[in-house]
Amino acid sequence: MTPDLNCYGDDIRQLADLAGDFDLRSAVDVSRWYTREWQVIADPLGFRQPLASAPTAIPIGGDLVTTMNLAGLAAFERALQAAWTGGTDKQGRVQTAVIQQMAALGLQHGELWRVSVDPTTLTTGACYPDQGRMHRAFYPDTAPGYFGDGWPGPPPRAESACGWTTPLVLHLGTFPWVYSTQLEVVGAGARWGAPTAKPALEGLQVVASLMEPRTNLRQDARQVAAIYRHFVTHTAPLVAHVPTFVVGQAQPGMLYRRGGILHVHQGSLHVAYLHGPRGRIAAVAYNYVLRRFANFFAVRRATVRALATLTSDVQQLARDSADPCLRQHAQETARAS
Amino acid sequence: MSRGLWITLGTTLGVGGAVFLGSRRASAASPSTKGPVDSNKPATLPAPTIELAALPTAADVHGDLVTNWGDTPPDLRPLFMLMEEVSKIPGTARLFGAIASGESAFVTTAHNGNAEKEQDERDDSRAAYTNNKDRNPPLRYGEEAADFGSGGLFGALAPYFLWTGVPEVGKKAPLLNTPPELVFQPRAAAFAACVYMQRLLAHYRIDDHADIKVGWASPSLLGKGRGSEKYSEVRARFLGVAKTLGIDLTDTKTIPQKLDASAWPGVPAVFAALVGALPKDLA
Repeated sequence: MTPDLNCYGDDIRQLADLAGDFDLRSAVDVSRWYTREWQVIADPLGFRQPLASAPTAIPIGGDLVTTMNLAGLAAFERALQAAWTGGTDKQGRVQTAVIQQMAALGLQHGELWRVSVDPTTLTTGACYPDQGRMHRAFYPDTAPGYFGDGWPGPPPRAESACGWTTPLVLHLGTFPWVYSTQLEVVGAGARWGAPTAKPALEGLQVVASLMEPRTNLRQDARQVAAIYRHFVTHTAPLVAHVPTFVVGQAQPGMLYRRGGILHVHQGSLHVAYLHGPRGRIAAVAYNYVLRRFANFFAVRRATVRALATLTSDVQQLARDSADPCLRQHAQETARAS
Repeated sequence: MSRGLWITLGTTLGVGGAVFLGSRRASAASPSTKGPVDSNKPATLPAPTIELAALPTAADVHGDLVTNWGDTPPDLRPLFMLMEEVSKIPGTARLFGAIASGESAFVTTAHNGNAEKEQDERDDSRAAYTNNKDRNPPLRYGEEAADFGSGGLFGALAPYFLWTGVPEVGKKAPLLNTPPELVFQPRAAAFAACVYMQRLLAHYRIDDHADIKVGWASPSLLGKGRGSEKYSEVRARFLGVAKTLGIDLTDTKTIPQKLDASAWPGVPAVFAALVGALPKDLA
């Protein structure tokens, strides 16, 4: 029996199809699929050009997925350096440290996609000093939004030096659109710049890690599915009003649905928005976020299918997962092999 | 060169005097161009559907699409860079970005003239057409252009947009038979903007980059109007737009201090590279 994503629901299987299928055991497939997925990431973030010139030579004995992810991250880093226009390291250093800490915590608990922590338990308390005052290093994104119904509590256990009264919540799986209530044309994380610290690079590293089989399996897919379903619940009524693209009948400048995503004919996707009760959502953010969900489950599908060929510790990860679907797949794989 | 002479030459963009100097901006993202119906006007031709090539991508250009672009939409940067590369005027890509930001907020179908309150914009395009139609080759969609107002990425006034290239190639100017709605297609708008940029640089005193935007508003401001209140206002607004967008106009690595249009390849070459071929009945 070939493992698939049916255990997560028909909607998840259809979602994964948006990113396309591939065989993790085929170098050609992996190269093609990861090249395209990095292009999908690079286009809205503006680093397609550095990506195209990134070296992709695979070191002997190296892992192809890791190599392609490193190439993508290196291209993003080059773009960050080129686009950096000023600012101090104070906030950037704190952001970098906090993201690293939150990513470690998230991975440990199998919930890397959305990490919610008491900011006062973090190094620096998620605060940074500037002009004699302490400031929050991140936006307190606790109101109902496109990724959830809000996270007003629990309040920090200790007193915050910079006024945190809520958990710190970051949606790292959809970096740079990390805030449920701020799906603007430029993701908030893309503006995290600093001369030496690179919090934005840390953010995209999380995205890349979820495309890597081992980290993908460690992420509880149920969390991703729940956030995806919330996203769809609140965007589907908005997208339903967008006409379907028909070749030869499209009007310049109009927003269309095309191939499951949004498309502006003869125009920029970066000026189009959907407006709903939970605020406006930029078309470019909608496409990117949707693709991140699709990408996650496409990697999950390919990984589960190739599980028998992966290392024993990766197989063990699947067998020990808190996710019953993944455990089921691991058992099926064990029986089949 | 006087404004009158300039208009005789054919193409100017975003001319609007006080209107332009006010809060000129994209008012609609719809390509609808229907203005008020006037039963005394001659019957108009139905506008044909013209489908130009899609926007260029990063693979279509050589120039840097990462440095000093600010918040210019990544999917429009290749178009601006292609404009710079085909017109052979180094440094113009980011200026086109800043101009488009101010003129249309990057909405390719921005249209000043389709709303009821935009009668002044329609008045401008009507005046442009009426005052110049006898000195320029006929426009197949002249009446529609006269009623159109201005639009597209770079805020082109419709009659001048359609007369683009007349000073250079006369009756062989490529847009004479096309409807004004073509300005909503970014490649066509880009072609007109390149021609206009070259003309400003070749024929006018351009002291700095802000002067280009002054010429975009009205070439007369670069002559007798230089130093006037309007001149200063346009400059200040443009510098503000560029700053808000995040483009550093003083970054000489990406925008030379002095732009040079001496390598301009000519209207036909720029049209071919940006727009390509039009349907035979329109060419």
